[in-house]
Amino acid sequence: MEANNKNTKTFLQISVHLTGYDEMDLLGTGMLESYYDVVIHENNLHLVSEFLTTSEKILGDLPNINDKIRQQLIDDVKFNSLTSNIIMMWYMGTWNGNVVSPQSYIQGLVWKAADTHPPGAKQPGYGSWENPPITIHPPVAVKPAAKAETLTTV
Amino acid sequence: MENTEYDVIIVGSGIAGCVMAKTLTQAGKKVLLLEAGLSAGINLDKNGNFYNYVDYLNTYYKANAKVPNSPYPNIKDAPSPNVLDIQATPSVDKGYYVQEGELPFASDFLRGPGGTTLHWLGSTPRMLPNDFQMKTNYNVAVDWPITYNELVPYYEMAELEIGVAGDASVQPNANEYTKGYEFPMKKIPQSYLDQKFMALVDKVNKGEHPVQIDKKKVTIGLTSTPQGRNAVPNEKYPYIDVMWNAEQQKLVMTKHMYWSGKDRAFKELDKKEKYQYLPVGAVWDPNTGQRCEGNASCVPICPVQAKYNALKSLAKADESKLTIKTQSVASKVLHNGEKTQITGVVYKTYAFGDDAIEYKEVIATAKIYVLAANAIENAKILLASEAANSSKQVGCNLMDHLCLLTWGLLPEKGYPFRGPGSTTNISSFRDTDTRKDHSAWICPVDNWGWGWPKFSPGSDVQDAVKEKKFGKELRNHLSDVLPRQLLLHYECEQLPNKDNRVSIKDEYRDALGNHRPVIKYNVSDYEIKAFAAAKAINDQLFKAAGIKDFTKYGEKDENGKFKNPDIVTPPRSKEIYNFWGAGHIVGTHRMGKDADKSVVDKNLCTWDHNNLYLVGCGNMPTLGTSNPTLTMLALTFKAAEAILKKI
Ligand SMILES: Cc1cc2nc3c(=O)[nH]c(=O)nc-3n(C[C@H](O)[C@H](O)[C@H](O)COP(=O)(O)OP(=O)(O)OC[C@H]3O[C@@H](n4cnc5c(N)ncnc54)[C@H](O)[C@@H]3O)c2cc1C
Ligand code: SF4
Repeated sequence: MEANNKNTKTFLQISVHLTGYDEMDLLGTGMLESYYDVVIHENNLHLVSEFLTTSEKILGDLPNINDKIRQQLIDDVKFNSLTSNIIMMWYMGTWNGNVVSPQSYIQGLVWKAADTHPPGAKQPGYGSWENPPITIHPPVAVKPAAKAETLTTV
Repeated sequence: MENTEYDVIIVGSGIAGCVMAKTLTQAGKKVLLLEAGLSAGINLDKNGNFYNYVDYLNTYYKANAKVPNSPYPNIKDAPSPNVLDIQATPSVDKGYYVQEGELPFASDFLRGPGGTTLHWLGSTPRMLPNDFQMKTNYNVAVDWPITYNELVPYYEMAELEIGVAGDASVQPNANEYTKGYEFPMKKIPQSYLDQKFMALVDKVNKGEHPVQIDKKKVTIGLTSTPQGRNAVPNEKYPYIDVMWNAEQQKLVMTKHMYWSGKDRAFKELDKKEKYQYLPVGAVWDPNTGQRCEGNASCVPICPVQAKYNALKSLAKADESKLTIKTQSVASKVLHNGEKTQITGVVYKTYAFGDDAIEYKEVIATAKIYVLAANAIENAKILLASEAANSSKQVGCNLMDHLCLLTWGLLPEKGYPFRGPGSTTNISSFRDTDTRKDHSAWICPVDNWGWGWPKFSPGSDVQDAVKEKKFGKELRNHLSDVLPRQLLLHYECEQLPNKDNRVSIKDEYRDALGNHRPVIKYNVSDYEIKAFAAAKAINDQLFKAAGIKDFTKYGEKDENGKFKNPDIVTPPRSKEIYNFWGAGHIVGTHRMGKDADKSVVDKNLCTWDHNNLYLVGCGNMPTLGTSNPTLTMLALTFKAAEAILKKI
């Protein structure tokens, strides 16, 4: 699936850096369009469009992206709650505590992060819980690979 | 007045009611089953059943708080309690319960076809022999009118009916099982988390800093938990069905006879056929749910029905002998004064829809009446009828297991949030001499992280985002913390106390005009002492095992209110403790030897009315340290046998 317009694409790309999951993971949830719609419908359009413009700029400076996100989206009072809500939506499938849809609950990234599956769906099969999960995530670098010593061992 | 003559009327289609209906109809008795909940929920037509269940499942997915009753409809004409309505300050106007006690009663149940087994966890340990004689052995509470040994044959029937998976040989008091006894299915594999935890406990037990009580070393023992969910069938298990043997005048477990739904009769097994126990699958499709698939959502809903629920038993009833009336809420049984027969049951029907207000009051009659509406509703019906209460014990002795939760982070990942809710328990404190002094407990190891006390993993994401974590830092943090979460819950035995009770008051009613339960509830020093004792053991264990303790009691929200409703504080206790309800609602119409001290006799017949039987956990005089439903079901078979003897 390809993001079908510029705005959803920006939303997807900034989401990659907000969530720590790559494009394939996010597209694989099948939730991109729905989540983009929620962002549009639940917020002041002007704010959303500013958020996207700012995001686009930030995405132009990949080497400093985390610092930029922190300064311009997380620490900025204007965007802070929108940004937090977007992160929560990808991880929990909720917007302001409300489940967006049955699928959004199932597709929450938190279950991936915890090396498990959403309770009540994507069941791993009889006895699977006896063993460690199959998809143990390799450690992911917090900073670019040059600073390999800061790897969090998982 | 209806003019059909039934042999037996049963109120309630939970496990007690459904198994009663199945057993009696298969023995040829004509049964009317009254169920308060919606017709859709009892659809035994396979398609209808499936769509209704999918609806529950979607409701669960969409629920913001995935509490036990979240998948199921709450009906104004037959409301259910909801744990979200339980508040630290007992309240009379929030939710279904009218809470008038010192502490709120925090356990819920489900009013709907299938009852509370739709959202139960399914743990099925037996009670221990000493649990039946608390007065004789420990000089507290009361003795049961029957012993463990008398109940053993019925325990075996209950284990067949539920389809218990487990290893009988490792259970506490395994020597008191019938020699060579096996469960129908092999044990559910213990989780990876259990194994990690057991290895830590083993090291502590054998290490330099073992856990001590009064400076004496204690060994912490763990056991795999028997449970009602489908696993690998046990080829050594010999039994097929439970059958009424009219000659012997008793229920027997068959090895050669099986119930044929098609022929509506017990049939002899073909001699050439080798019998093997078959797991019972979903009500809509026997091939679904043949094994627990690890959905990890048993509470509140098993998507594939690998977990037992009461509708599986109902599906085996002889349909030709069974009339089911749904949206039919029993309000009263009729009689002409004390020590007489019950002459009818009054129920109200309602139409369901947005504003449907179409009620009808009906009286139905039978030779025998069975209340199976669960402990709280049974008591309410009796009180509203002024029936069965010459002992003044109806509604009294409400009990629950008081769950002291403790949580921490394991030194290594155990990967929780997988598998059934619990597969292992700490069993070594279930029956020790300290019962003279304080409650005994069982302590399940929980497989679902800190979900219960902390709403993990949602709260972990929320907290991390509040701390401004994002991107890979957030992801790494969650992948580090969530897989290391450990939760234990010490289920402490509550003793019967006549002041912990369910009553009714005319000013508190539901939409149909039936009473809401008025509850007075508290805990005693006997139980509070157990919190301290359990916590002392837990703290030593966590420390010696390198488990970082995050347990916190008495937390307050932004408004300064206690977050967790059930709390005891100094001077009642040395420290602050929170406890949580276990969903084990027990004791409101207890059985006993003496008519003046109990509501039913040892066959579950009310002392006051010789054609009124009560089934459900309300009968249990004490709680022991096991989840109550297996024991309650054993008693239900005993009651069914007594009824069949009578008619
Ligand atoms: C979260 C949770 C987890 C649990 N886990 C376990 C466990 O692991 N192991 C265990 O042993 N136990 C467990 N329990 C307890 C267990 O669920 C109950 O003990 C058991 O289901 C009670 O069965 P019952 O048939 O007596 O009552 P219920 O299942 O409550 O059924 C009562 C039925 O009567 C109907 N009814 C009620 N009032 C009326 C009326 N006035 N007229 C007509 N019909 C009426 C209801 O709709 C319902 O169908 C758990 C409980 C909870 C809440
Ligand atoms: S773990 Fe899943 S499949 Fe197994 S009983 Fe629980 S909900 Fe059902």
